Amino acid sequence: MSRQGPLLTLGSVVIVAGLFLYGNAVAAKPGGPPAAAAATTTPTPTATATSLPAGATSAPAHALFAGRSSGDQVTVAIAINGKKAAADLNAGLASEVSLQGSVSGDLVSLTSSSGTRLTGSVSGPDMFGTVSGFLGQSFPFSAAQAIVQAVYAGRSSNGELTLAVSTDGNQAVAYVCNGHTIEAWLQGSVKGNQVNLTGSKGASLTGSLTGLAMFGMVTPNTGLSLPFSAELSPHPAGVFQARVAINGLATRIGWAVLPDGTQVGVAVIGSTRQPAPLLDLSDGAFTLDGGSFTAAQVAGNATVVSP
Amino acid sequence: MTTQPVTVRQAPDQYAKPLLIALLSGCAVALVLGLYGGLHHPTHYALDIAGFSSPLYAKAWLTTAAVVFAVVQLGTGIRISRPDAPHGIATVHRWSGRIAILLTVPVIIHCLYALGFQTYSIRVLIHSVLGCIFYGAFVAKMLSLVNRETMPKWVIPVLGGVVFVSLVGLWATSALWLFTTKGVHG
Repeated sequence: MSRQGPLLTLGSVVIVAGLFLYGNAVAAKPGGPPAAAAATTTPTPTATATSLPAGATSAPAHALFAGRSSGDQVTVAIAINGKKAAADLNAGLASEVSLQGSVSGDLVSLTSSSGTRLTGSVSGPDMFGTVSGFLGQSFPFSAAQAIVQAVYAGRSSNGELTLAVSTDGNQAVAYVCNGHTIEAWLQGSVKGNQVNLTGSKGASLTGSLTGLAMFGMVTPNTGLSLPFSAELSPHPAGVFQARVAINGLATRIGWAVLPDGTQVGVAVIGSTRQPAPLLDLSDGAFTLDGGSFTAAQVAGNATVVSP
Repeated sequence: MTTQPVTVRQAPDQYAKPLLIALLSGCAVALVLGLYGGLHHPTHYALDIAGFSSPLYAKAWLTTAAVVFAVVQLGTGIRISRPDAPHGIATVHRWSGRIAILLTVPVIIHCLYALGFQTYSIRVLIHSVLGCIFYGAFVAKMLSLVNRETMPKWVIPVLGGVVFVSLVGLWATSALWLFTTKGVHG
């Protein structure tokens, strides 16, 4: 004799489970109000906000251009850093010349001690120009801007907030925190020398790249804006992140690491905030609440603010 | 003379197939839950249940309520097949079980969807394994009940015992741990 009762019980459990799973998949969203959607729109920099001469098109504050001569025999590499520029011309074995020069608007002009001259004009992501006096020859060249990955790390003016910005070409992410309760993830764009990042709950960062540093204003979601400075920083500086489950609570931990290895971070466990655990900068390992986890460095093209 | 051994051999066969189906189904459910929890990338967020300070406490209280009904299950289950069982004990047993299992459904969905199968500490590992065993044993028990006249006598009590012990284990590694470390509140 068969009974239907147990099968009905089983069926109703499956149906209820399906409803909850469907509800979670459709309705549940990560924390934070829809303001985070602003992360995709980039405010247009105003003329007064730029540090460069008004009206002039300008070369990027930081850029690396790589290309070739028209005859394809000479490789051309040009680095721009603020008002300074450096270039390297290479035609193969023992035929290499280094040049130094300056940037004025969108024009670069470089010379070498041996009398080689390079002049170029930046047009968006490309540079076109002429090389003269290289192995007795003159020729035109073209070069394209390389995607530059960089980390800028620093502090707010009062030293309260620590931040790290990771750039990848024209994209950037940042993490700013005070190591206890204030923190913000930011995301946005790099256009020319202007950095515009936004986060959830009104958090934002605007900065200008000048030479080897970034200066600007950072607003974590407390609403208080603070000026900051950050310098172009080598390893181990960077933005680090871990998303783990601690005792059944969704946990997101962020660290801003300065080039001297100083690390400041906040762990958001469920809805409570606490100082982040110590991060092993050699392999990203850390322990929290008895568990061992690994954090990853965040690249400038990563998504850190939920759309 | 030839029919006699046939009937003797048929006796075990009568329940072997339904029992095998029930047990294998339970194993499959446990395996699927474990694989889903391990392979599905945890979302780290899920629907909140209103009225609690955090999803963790909502889950802890739902599990605690399920354990209370499970104790009723134990009390009624050990008397249910006695000849002198009180009238209506089967109804109480069935409905307390249905309520208990339905209370655990929002919890397991949150566990699986938002967190997944985790192994970072002994408590968490035991909890993850017990979660799979619990639902596997539950499915095996339900399927065994469909043809319970053909089952050996020990099947239902053993499966019921596994369901009860794994639920209490789940509660001890989650809700009890939460209440003792973070305090008892809503």
